[in-house]
Amino acid sequence: MSEIDRRTFLKSASAFSALGAATALGGAGPLWAQTIAGQKRPDVIRKAIASTGEEIPAVGLGSWITFNVGNDMELRDQCADVMSAFFSAGGRMIDSSPMYGSSQDVIGYGLDKLGARDQVFSTDKVWTSGDGMEQLAQTQERWNIKSFDLLQVHNLVGINENLPLLFKLKDEGLLRYVGVTTSHGRRTEDVMAVMKNERLDFVQVTYNPIDRDVEEYLLPMAYDRGIAVIVNRPFRGGSLVEKLEGEPLPEFAAELGAESWAQLILKYLIAHPAVTCPIPATTKPAHAAENMRAATGLLPDDKMREQIAAVIGVLI
Amino acid sequence: MSEWWSYGLADFLLFSPRVYFRLFETMNTTWGLAVISALIAGVIAAGLAMRHGHRGNRVILVVLSLIWAWVSYGFMWQYYQPINWVVPYVLPGFVAEIVLLAVFASRPLPLRFGWRGDFSSMVGAAFIGIALVVYPFVGLFEGRDLMQAELFGSAADPTAFGTLGFVLMARGTWRWLLVPVPLIWCLIASATLWVMDQEIAVVPLIAVWLTVFCCWLDLKNGVTTRRMTQAELVEPTD
Repeated sequence: MSEIDRRTFLKSASAFSALGAATALGGAGPLWAQTIAGQKRPDVIRKAIASTGEEIPAVGLGSWITFNVGNDMELRDQCADVMSAFFSAGGRMIDSSPMYGSSQDVIGYGLDKLGARDQVFSTDKVWTSGDGMEQLAQTQERWNIKSFDLLQVHNLVGINENLPLLFKLKDEGLLRYVGVTTSHGRRTEDVMAVMKNERLDFVQVTYNPIDRDVEEYLLPMAYDRGIAVIVNRPFRGGSLVEKLEGEPLPEFAAELGAESWAQLILKYLIAHPAVTCPIPATTKPAHAAENMRAATGLLPDDKMREQIAAVIGVLI
Repeated sequence: MSEWWSYGLADFLLFSPRVYFRLFETMNTTWGLAVISALIAGVIAAGLAMRHGHRGNRVILVVLSLIWAWVSYGFMWQYYQPINWVVPYVLPGFVAEIVLLAVFASRPLPLRFGWRGDFSSMVGAAFIGIALVVYPFVGLFEGRDLMQAELFGSAADPTAFGTLGFVLMARGTWRWLLVPVPLIWCLIASATLWVMDQEIAVVPLIAVWLTVFCCWLDLKNGVTTRRMTQAELVEPTD
């Protein structure tokens, strides 16, 4: 870790503390930044982060592909609209990665535009075999945020260097939670080895009614060891919902208050006792709001979950 | 670095087709005059390259060098780089191509463009024609707006594809130096379009195979092995 990068990281953290204080003294922020502030938001199902007991809304927002829109201002504004719909519907967790192109910048732009820095549960990753601290400083600059709630080692890349770095930041009070991620069911055994040997707060895995391998060992292990679980690719990158489009919902969906396949899938995931927060990604504000509504009303019991997986398995 | 094996090709495609093709729309509307100028320069270079004889050799190389510089800075750096982290890693190759074209233009090296009437010339002419005329309209068949047209001289894919055509129209021992960068870019372009489910992905891939085949053919026929004679090196003045 270079001392300069470390200084940059710490300096920007202090600068944001000062900015926060100035905003508090001066009252509200700029006019355009008041879109979200003060808005009353609906109650949604919340799930506890086992390591602290803190509760967060049970549906988050991913940014893989959907938020990588470069410098296209029209598309950046559309992403900000998605974030606005997400926050307004009660959402908090937004997840990104240095691997996702311009997504971090776009999230920073959206948070600026919406004045939503105090509402977001900020989740990002370190993804490098090189200088992790340098990458984290860049990530923080792109989000334009004081500090992160959760940082994860992306796909276990550079795990031996990056995980100790994240624990160090946590110990120094610069980070609240530490996790690791994987996707597409890759390196599950390696992830479980890390879960067994390290004091993780979060693990992020791929899980949906079709990709259910994690149900056998990983999710029970996370539950037993008090590790919160973020679910990526809940819709298989959108293809799951696309394939189900036009198919009638099963009758029991109405009992759960699910109006769409997307909501039914999310309810299936949230209902698992080990799952803390699926993070579907979208480019449409209406879909962001629809996804959040999955965290309202009833959740399926074990029998109904099996029915959901069976129905979707037949239709796909 | 043992972790990297766990990635698939699709993992590195981090943008949607919608965002990718909007890059061309934004570039075409923002830099309309420059985009059209680059296309016209390409048409002029194509006209010179397809003539029987070697007139305008230097003009072709200068035009191609400028076009690659514009593609590198305009499209690749300003537009494509923010959404694709791979771009900074391939840009040095683009710069090498610019330098090589500029060096070839400034020195009497044994490289001359001109119609030879052999198979490679025909393939080269076809590549140039497709890059200039057909490529911009391909998007229409896939439901895209004409403003999202990828134009030779500004967009990377048709420029690399067309440059391979120019190279196949040339003769001389130094020709092979200009092949790797557009060839590699065509492979990258094909993979990118394939992961985005775009049928046009097959075009740059075919270009790669045909270029390799033509290079082998030209090597066998002496097009790229025989040194140019002094008479062939002299730029005609009439």
